[in-house]
Amino acid sequence: MPTPPVPELLRAHLNKLAEKDERLDGRGRFEGREVILETGVLSNAEGSARVQMGNTIVLAGVKFQIMTPYPDRPTSGGFMTSAEVRPVSGLHWEAGPPSPEAIELGRVVDRGIRESGCIDMEDLCILPGEKAWQVILDVFALSDDGNLFDAFATAAMAALRTATIPGEKFDVGEDRPLPVSKTPMMCSYHRVGGRYVYDTIRREEIGGAERIHITLGDDNHVHSLQKGLKGAFTAAEFDEIMEHARSRCAELRDLVNN
Amino acid sequence: MGGYGDVQMIDENGIRMDGRTAGDIRPVLINAGIIPVADGSAEVIWGNNHVVAAVYGPMEAHPRKIQKQDRAVLDVRYNMAPFSTTDRIRPGFNRRSREISKVTAEALESVVLTELYPRSKIRVEIEVLTAEAGTRCAGITAASVALADAGIPMTDMVISVASGKINGVVVCDLNKEEDNYGEADLPMGVCANSGELVFLQMDGDLSPEEFQVAWDYNMGAIAPVHEIMIEALKRSNGGDE
Repeated sequence: MPTPPVPELLRAHLNKLAEKDERLDGRGRFEGREVILETGVLSNAEGSARVQMGNTIVLAGVKFQIMTPYPDRPTSGGFMTSAEVRPVSGLHWEAGPPSPEAIELGRVVDRGIRESGCIDMEDLCILPGEKAWQVILDVFALSDDGNLFDAFATAAMAALRTATIPGEKFDVGEDRPLPVSKTPMMCSYHRVGGRYVYDTIRREEIGGAERIHITLGDDNHVHSLQKGLKGAFTAAEFDEIMEHARSRCAELRDLVNN
Repeated sequence: MGGYGDVQMIDENGIRMDGRTAGDIRPVLINAGIIPVADGSAEVIWGNNHVVAAVYGPMEAHPRKIQKQDRAVLDVRYNMAPFSTTDRIRPGFNRRSREISKVTAEALESVVLTELYPRSKIRVEIEVLTAEAGTRCAGITAASVALADAGIPMTDMVISVASGKINGVVVCDLNKEEDNYGEADLPMGVCANSGELVFLQMDGDLSPEEFQVAWDYNMGAIAPVHEIMIEALKRSNGGDE
């Protein structure tokens, strides 16, 4: 479904609120919704998590398959992320093959995790050149009230951190925890009423302009960036949100690690 | 059907592996209103099955060619999440989910007062999060609660349950292990108040006597589940008044 036509009234209202440095739900510019995280919620997944941020609810499930390693990397396993934004999660998501928006969601979440190197691909090797584990991360939206990116990324890391490699099920050794050495976290910012705000609700997204997603690893290393939608931003604006991302990612990391 | 196995699923006293007797259903837990952005929603936790349903609408039906001049169309989708089973499911529709979507829509169309909303569409989304045998029944049950939660006028609510046969014994509501070795499966969707059937499938092998027992087990399970549905709707829609 295309993005609904922006009601000019909503945009005007968001602009008015921005003049007073306010938001639709009363939060401050960089104030996130409370993140409620629960792990072990899907009994048929090898690792799972549920994240709720206001009216946004998502799930992440980790499954394992045995793959043949790629010829150029015979001792490496694989990692794959797929984002399922099914029409159950909102009126604006329609049935059918994954939309460009859903594909972008999956790929941005995937990059942050992959590029951080938090999963040791060599450790997933079972028999060089013949057998290796493929880690499949499925993120699934139940209720979309904005900022699926951060909800997915948080649920994904929590699911990976609690995942078990099912050696016994596949008859290749014992079950063991999936080693995850780092905890990359994502923070997303959206231009609403002319300035960037953190953790938007859906109505802010409808009336907003461009968005920026930042994934930071341990020690604030940058692992993925994505600018989405139409709009332009300045270096000073980017500096401001990057500074906020550093402190917020650390908070989210503590939540996921504990 | 998995066919006849050597695995003993039911002992000489008629007690099944999970401690149930032949006519018992698994524990059922229902919550309504679990998806905040939907017009109506419900989750059904039936044994280890976890199924959610969301309802959107009634709304204008698009594209126009799907509109019915005298009633609303029910746009029902049943889908299994990729992590819902032991082996991951590749995302996307398959023949099984399309068939289940179709018969579920037809079951619900029998109770929803669609003639009140000509040219409109009511979207019903059923998502299986964890599958442990009997997901189509849990899906129909969840969809009924979600429709009621959305305030869609209905003549009745549909409850669905299946009976089958293990080690030659007819039992109600097979769990996953029983289903793997099951010799028959008879899922039914029954209107809680009228007792009429709006959904019926069967496969396997049942004698006329066995068929009658399976039928009676299913009918016996309707009222208890209906109670749980009503309680769920009361909890999410403001108490007993």
